[in-house]
Amino acid sequence: MKTLFEAHVLCRRYGDLTALYLPFFSMEKGETVVLTGRNGSGKSTLLRLLAFLEKPTSGTLFYGGNAADPRREITLLLQEPYLMKASVYWNVTLGLRLRGADEKSMREGYRDAMLAVGFTDPDNMASRGPGALSGGERQRIALASRLILSPAVLLLDEPTSNVDEASEKAILNVVRSLHEREVSVICATHDRDIPAALGAREVGIVGKRP
Amino acid sequence: MGYFSDGMHKALGLLLNMDDATFSAIQATLSSTSCALVIAMILGLPLGFLLGYASFPGKKALRLISDTLLAFPTVLIGLIVYVFITYRGPLGQFGLLFTLPGMVIGQSILALPIIVSWTAQAVESLDKRCRETLLTLGASPLQVALYTIREIRYDLGMVCVTAFGRVVTEVGVAMMLGGNIRYSTRTMTTAISLETSKGEFAQGIALGLVLLLIAFLVNFLLAWFRRMGRA
Repeated sequence: MKTLFEAHVLCRRYGDLTALYLPFFSMEKGETVVLTGRNGSGKSTLLRLLAFLEKPTSGTLFYGGNAADPRREITLLLQEPYLMKASVYWNVTLGLRLRGADEKSMREGYRDAMLAVGFTDPDNMASRGPGALSGGERQRIALASRLILSPAVLLLDEPTSNVDEASEKAILNVVRSLHEREVSVICATHDRDIPAALGAREVGIVGKRP
Repeated sequence: MGYFSDGMHKALGLLLNMDDATFSAIQATLSSTSCALVIAMILGLPLGFLLGYASFPGKKALRLISDTLLAFPTVLIGLIVYVFITYRGPLGQFGLLFTLPGMVIGQSILALPIIVSWTAQAVESLDKRCRETLLTLGASPLQVALYTIREIRYDLGMVCVTAFGRVVTEVGVAMMLGGNIRYSTRTMTTAISLETSKGEFAQGIALGLVLLLIAFLVNFLLAWFRRMGRA
């Protein structure tokens, strides 16, 4: 197995506040890792660094991916996903749109991604706006918008918080199926049952302040 | 109140019979306001977007100036533009004073701070997760900017409608730079002002009714943009 991420003495500060201090972290390609830790320990900050949304204040972060721009193969599902002011279809296919995909592949990708996250009738959902969706539906649609990109690395920030049981089940099923397809997944969560439910390696983020 | 009901009766007659002077004022108002709005949008939307989106030295000072200009009195704008386009002014050679283009210049200046400040406000108020979402989906910096504009499209619509509403109802700039010339630069507001001072209420009421209709349409559009923005 090849190393996907390796971090040494990773630190992220916002002014005087140390949001993350991580002496060491590594994961291999195709692995599923669950980040656990108390509120404010830095799980979300670590995900943002791994997604290349932010740069560490100090320390080193190695990424062993293939793309010249890591953001083309790593995608992050935010804890409270944002859906654009457009239809469900438009939101799910947005990433493909940004890559210049044609309408046919968007339509096919939309259907597959929506079925994967547990929507049995994707066509029925296509024209709905974000205002007409429940929290669980929003979460699954946001997840579908990431799955459609077939990412090499999927980062999930508290994907099962604030969703109903059915949505939680659908999301966990997706993560399991990604693990079977050797897609690398990192999931931050408070839920102590999730590492076992996913059969994933658990990494505790202590959030020790230097 | 007999004169009022009489004026109202005559006003409806002017509108139904498509009175030349009345419709000339409506046409002058709509054409100058539309031109001014287009110019202010061309200049103001990109400036406002940059002001809200980009970080650069002096940004706060620029924002403060733009916000201050929101309260610029229309007669002061009229005075400043007048000084420039009067026959003895630096732009006097172009003969813009007491013409529709002269009015358009003043009205564009009136609309510009509204469009710049409120566009910047719309960009700044946008949920920061929008940008992060676009980045996590692999958007380039240019795509992030373009899709941000798309996301605030209804806010931008509201900005433009608000600016239109402000310009169409103003009287200072139109009076000072247009000169209230009948069949030429006389607008609805300047005509109402003149006719009322003459004690002729009919045309004033007729034009007032049209202004009310425009105000209704402006508010209808604002409500629509607001609803679409929330959806």
